[in-house]
Amino acid sequence: MKVSELVTKTGLKTFNEGADKEIMGVYISDMVSDIVGMKEGNLLITLQTHKNLIAAANLVDVAAVVFSRNRTPADDVVALANKAGIRLLGYDGDTWSLAKKLCELKIA
Amino acid sequence: MSKAACHHQWTMTNVRPGYLVIEGCFHCRNRISFFSEEAVAPIDDYHEGEHFWSHLSHYQAAQFDLKCEKCDAEVPLKDVMALMLCTKCDPNCGCYAAAIQEPDKKTWVYAALCANTSHSPNKCIAPESLRALNEYFNQGTKDPAKKIAVVPCSLRKSVDTCQGIVLADFGLTDLY
Repeated sequence: MKVSELVTKTGLKTFNEGADKEIMGVYISDMVSDIVGMKEGNLLITLQTHKNLIAAANLVDVAAVVFSRNRTPADDVVALANKAGIRLLGYDGDTWSLAKKLCELKIA
Repeated sequence: MSKAACHHQWTMTNVRPGYLVIEGCFHCRNRISFFSEEAVAPIDDYHEGEHFWSHLSHYQAAQFDLKCEKCDAEVPLKDVMALMLCTKCDPNCGCYAAAIQEPDKKTWVYAALCANTSHSPNKCIAPESLRALNEYFNQGTKDPAKKIAVVPCSLRKSVDTCQGIVLADFGLTDLY
């Protein structure tokens, strides 16, 4: 499934226009040191909105980043994601309910 | 297949969670870092030769090695303290130069940080470690225009003015 299709199906908020990548899987983590070990093409769900998260997400070529629990990235974070072509999305609910939705869509 | 002829398919192995600990010497003003796998990051000051090392900061981090899935070659990366994204803050910096080397590519430079920022022993990250890291972080990318360039931190012009983004977990241990 493409990121754009996920946004349409789940109503996720979008913070920028990034590349419309294919989602190969899902990874949930709030630690940059853990994200560095991710496989490429995953949808990253996190609470972290720090800029070094984008630096790590770019390194492992994520499909997109979803900030759960209504977290909003700062302007400099969005700017770095724009440079890297990383789509930033937002979800009002908690990570678990988003994970369940993604399972129902057979993404995870 | 011989290890020399293999087109490696790297995977992470021996992932070790711990702390990136940074110390400074008030005598020579050098900074060093090391990776600690202890449950709590060491913060004691100590004397070593002409140096008086004091704890400056520590961050949760992870070290790992790389292993080829095809030939079992393994590259230990104990000399890599962390990776740092270059933000191209200084046109006179070696990391900046590495970022603009291939104009047809969108190159993202990540400096591999070694233990001694002064590089006084003339030592930085081993070339075989850099080669494996470059192959690992570029092997899965779907965008042919994108390139990850992992370079030694000795290319960095100044540790004091560098605005690079270190891939470590800032702030998570501030409660201790």
